Formats: sequence, C-alpha cells, structure tokens
Amino acid sequence: MATPERVTIAAAGVITPVGQDLEAFWSSLITGASGISQIERVAVDDLRVQRGGEVKKIGRIKDWRGVPDCRASRLLIAAADDLCAQTAFRPLPLDPERVGVVVGTALGGVEEGEKALGGDRRRRRLHGALYDGPGWNLARWLGARGPVITVSTACASGATALAVGADLLRAGEADAVVAGGYDALCRFVLRGFNALRSLTRDEVRPFDRRRSGLLLGEAAALALLTRETDAPRARLGTLLGYGSASDGFHIAAPEPDGRGLERAIRAALADARLAPDDVDFVSAHGTATPLNDRIETAALKRALGPRAQAIPVNSIKGSLGHTMGAAAALEAFMCLLAAQRGLIPPTLHLEDPDPECDLDYVPGAARPARPRVMLSTSMGFGGCNGALVLGAA
Amino acid sequence: MRAPSVRALGLLSGDRPAPGATPILALERPERPGDRFRRATRECLLALAAVDAMLEDGRASRAAIGGDRTALLYVTAAAYGASNREFIERRGGVTHFAYTAPAVVPAEVAIEFGVTGAYGILIGGAPSTLRAIAQAARLLEAGTCDRALVLAVEIFEECSDLYARHRRFYRWPLVETVACLWLEPGAGELQFESGRSGGPGRRAPDVGERFAAAPLADLSERWRDARAGALELSGRWRGEHARLRWSMVTSHARGSAA
Repeated sequence: MATPERVTIAAAGVITPVGQDLEAFWSSLITGASGISQIERVAVDDLRVQRGGEVKKIGRIKDWRGVPDCRASRLLIAAADDLCAQTAFRPLPLDPERVGVVVGTALGGVEEGEKALGGDRRRRRLHGALYDGPGWNLARWLGARGPVITVSTACASGATALAVGADLLRAGEADAVVAGGYDALCRFVLRGFNALRSLTRDEVRPFDRRRSGLLLGEAAALALLTRETDAPRARLGTLLGYGSASDGFHIAAPEPDGRGLERAIRAALADARLAPDDVDFVSAHGTATPLNDRIETAALKRALGPRAQAIPVNSIKGSLGHTMGAAAALEAFMCLLAAQRGLIPPTLHLEDPDPECDLDYVPGAARPARPRVMLSTSMGFGGCNGALVLGAA
Repeated sequence: MRAPSVRALGLLSGDRPAPGATPILALERPERPGDRFRRATRECLLALAAVDAMLEDGRASRAAIGGDRTALLYVTAAAYGASNREFIERRGGVTHFAYTAPAVVPAEVAIEFGVTGAYGILIGGAPSTLRAIAQAARLLEAGTCDRALVLAVEIFEECSDLYARHRRFYRWPLVETVACLWLEPGAGELQFESGRSGGPGRRAPDVGERFAAAPLADLSERWRDARAGALELSGRWRGEHARLRWSMVTSHARGSAA
C-alpha cells in the first residue's frame, strides 16, 4: 500500500483557561499554572461543583461586529485570531474556495438552544443551536469558502477533526485547512456532568491514588494544515497517523479493558507506518476519573508493550480541566511544542501515584526531553476512541 | 476513488402527520424489548430500527455486520435537538444527559450489533451524508474495514414549534427519516465534489425536507434501477452544495428482493 501523503501542522492558535494564545498556553503548562477557578459567566449556585476551567476574557479581538454573540463561535474565532497573527492567514493568502474548515465539538452551539428555548426568538439563535453553526461562523470570519465540516465524536472530536482535515488535503479538496476543536462552558454541560457525578470538588489529579473526577474547561484550538509540499519552512510538526475505534459497550462508560482505545492506538500507528518502539512520548486523555485512568494505563501497556514503561506519559487536564471538543487538539499542540522546545509539561496534582497506573506520568515539574514521535489518545461518550500520531518538525 | 457497492439499504420514512400546526410527517417510537432500552431516546431506537431494516433488505444476520472490520459513519443535522430540549427543560432524569450527545446514536448501534471498527460522526445536512459515503469509500479502498455502514437520522417532532418559527427556511413538510446504508468494496468509480458556487446539480425530487437523510432517501428510490449504471446524488446545506457521481452502484446480484 502506498504511503499516504504527509500533512504538515504549519501553525496553531488557541484560547484556553491558562492562556489567550499559544505562547501563554505553553508557558502555563510548563510552569504548572492552573486555569481552574470559580465559574462566573453562568449561574452555578444550584450545582454541587461550581469550579472549572473558564476563559475569563476572550482574546484580543475588540470589534465583534458581524460575529454572533455566541460563546462557542467567539472562542473559535479567538483561536483563529491567534493562528492568523502567527501566519498572516487573514485576509486569506490563497483562493478562498481552496481553504477548508473542520472543527470538532461535543456541544456545538447548544447554549444558543438554551437561549432559543428561553424565549429568544431571533432566527440566529435557532440556527446557532445546530452543532455545525459555530464552524460556519468561523468560516465566514476567515473568508474561507471551501468545505466546512463539523464532527462530533464527543471528547475525541478534536482528534477526529485534525484527521478529517488531513483527509481533505489528501483528497485534493482543499490546499489549506483550518482544523481543530472547541467547546464552551454553559449551564447545559455543567448541569449534565453534575448530574452524572463525574466532577470533583478536589483538584483534578490524573493517575493519582486520590483522584476523584474531572472538572470541565472551555477552550478552542485550531491548526493550519497543509500538504508537506506546500508547507512553510517554519512549522510546528507533522500529522503522521490517526486511528479510531468504537467500544460498542456502553453509551457513557468506557469499556473496562480499554480494548477500543487499544484498537485506535494500533490503527493510528499502522496509519503512520510506525511501530510501538518508535513512540517517544504519550499525551494521555487522563481525565482523572477513577475508571478512565486505570483503563487508559492498561490500554497503553497492551498497545505499546514494553515501550509503555520506558517513555513519559502526561495529562494536562489538571491545568485546564477537560476542555471536551478542544482537548485532543490542545494535547496534540502540546506534544508538538514539547518536541520543539525540548520540555515535557508535568501532570499537575499527581502526588501519590495509583499502583494500578504504573507508567512514567511526569509528576512534579517539566522534564527536558526531545521526543520525535508522539502519541495522543482520546476517549469520549458513546465509546468513541481516537488516537493521533504526531511527528516533530 | 474506487466506488463501493451497495449491499443493502434500510429506510424508514415518516408518514404520520404530527399533532399541531407544523407540517411534519413523523415516525412512531419503535418498541424494543430489553431493559437496556428503557431510557433510550426515540432517535436511538429509530437508528436501531434502520439497521434492522437494512439487515432485512440484505437478507443478512446481525453477525454479518459485527466486529472490528465494520466501520460506522453517522450523520445528522438536528436529531440531537429532541434530547437536548428534554434535558434543557428538565424533563429527562439525571441519566438523560448522556443521550444529548450526538455520539450516543451510533453508540447504541455499535452496542446492539457489536460494531467496533473505525467510526466517524458528521454534523450537517445532505452534503455531509454524501461526504460520509465518500469517506466510507476511502476506508474500504484503504483496507481499513471490510464493510462500512452510513447511518443518517433526522427527527423533528419534539422541536416542531422551533422549526415553525422559521417556516420560510425549509421545504415543508419536514419528513422524519432514518436510514442505514451498507457498503462493501466494489468496482467502478466514485467522484465527490462540493462547493459554494455553481448549481446544486440534481435535487432529490421528493417533496419535503429530510436534512442529512435526504441523499439516502433519494438513493433508496433509485439504486435498484441503477444497478448496472451510473447514479448521481446531490444535496445542499447552508450554502454548500455537494455531488456524488457513482458508477457501478452495486456489483451484487440481489435477487428477487431488488
């Protein structure tokens, strides 16, 4: 079988609870800063857990004319603004018909639905409530007129979006693709996770014996993808492979042995034409729920074999909370920055390792390292498992 | 890319006028035995019914689609609206939140039929479904899977008042539709194209709006006649149009069921 054309991640832009742009995001991860705070934008008085990774101020954009007052859309556009600041990508330097947009989300514009049902009768509210609304708003802001795709593989959505974006390039449907993920904190999701009792009142402690759940966060993360032949010399890295697999087990709980995640990892490595021994670093999904971290550890050990014990594995959800549709894209960018800067961010709040989570989870402080091949894993509602293999620039 | 062949297609189309002033042709909530389905939403149960119909159309057993060599691609524009509304208006219990995720509809199919291969979930109208068929063709061509299911679900009844607010944006009536397409490696060629300029190509002739399910409804009308020849499907959503040109729609002899 022919090797698929490589896709370059030329640059990335983000907005997160720990930083309004990629540099601030990276600095916060390396220094162990936390973006968890009391949630202020929406009412949480009736909820058991009232903290999360809230973005307190959206980006540097002063003029929002022409952009709906939709939180999800504005997060996306703020990340795109960061991306464009680095790449001079707005106004578009190429034919708009050849620029695609692919975004992943778990919630879309659901807050617009809450408003529409709350009596706001504006047409924009209802259209914005459809989950593909924010992606179209981003395309309009960019001026992109190529394919606009929204994927929703729950909390694996960011990974799926990067892979679908790469497919658009390989299929010749676009010459550049802005791809990534987003989700906004709103009453809908905070109420939902409170009802499921998945949220912790403690710190988010991935792989720690005392871990007791996750906290939600909001963010957007976008990459500029190009074919390798079209890529600028300065680049963040390469998307080498992607794999997905369904658990086929339960609508909300992961399969207890992590077989779905294991299949996704194997598929991603096969897609990248690489072996487990090629992997230098793993960015784990690492939500800090009792079940997830144990299952993920087991899946990594089976999929990577002895290599799993020899390489660093981290989770950045202690810093950000679980940013849902944005999580996998943020984690992919963290992997590429780690390779570029020679430092692996620590797993925040990991102090007392769980004996069942016995890999090298980078506790304490950032660690000097120069990974060349990175694996990023994601798991989501509905048994969605995704894995990305990334290459250093 | 190489065209996949159609092994079977299951389709359920609404024919019950929904109560109220909004013209909607609705589907009944299917009954399904088993405690697991006690809390399942209408869209989940309809998705399962579409797969049942597909298996019946293909005269195949459930085992024929199980396992990790089956890919599942799910498409919807708005089927999650009903569950979202139920949760927002606090009619669902604490466990209902999980059902608001679009990913739960294909998850129920994966659980019920043991489908554990590659998957994808696209949110959008008819162009997304045409794209999903093209994506399935690529997965089959690359050997990632041996068969691919393209599942489309659209229901409207629970949000009829919201659609009624914006009557002029839809082709009435809204027709609830669920469909599942079973694709296998085939011969011939498949061409997918999308864009914003130019004409939408041939539009599905039937009256009404089916969002993402429209191309599969169109295909169900035409593929049996087009078995040996070419077929073109097209669709439009939010200003994007897409077209799929499909030669050799099926290489299977489907016998008298066709």
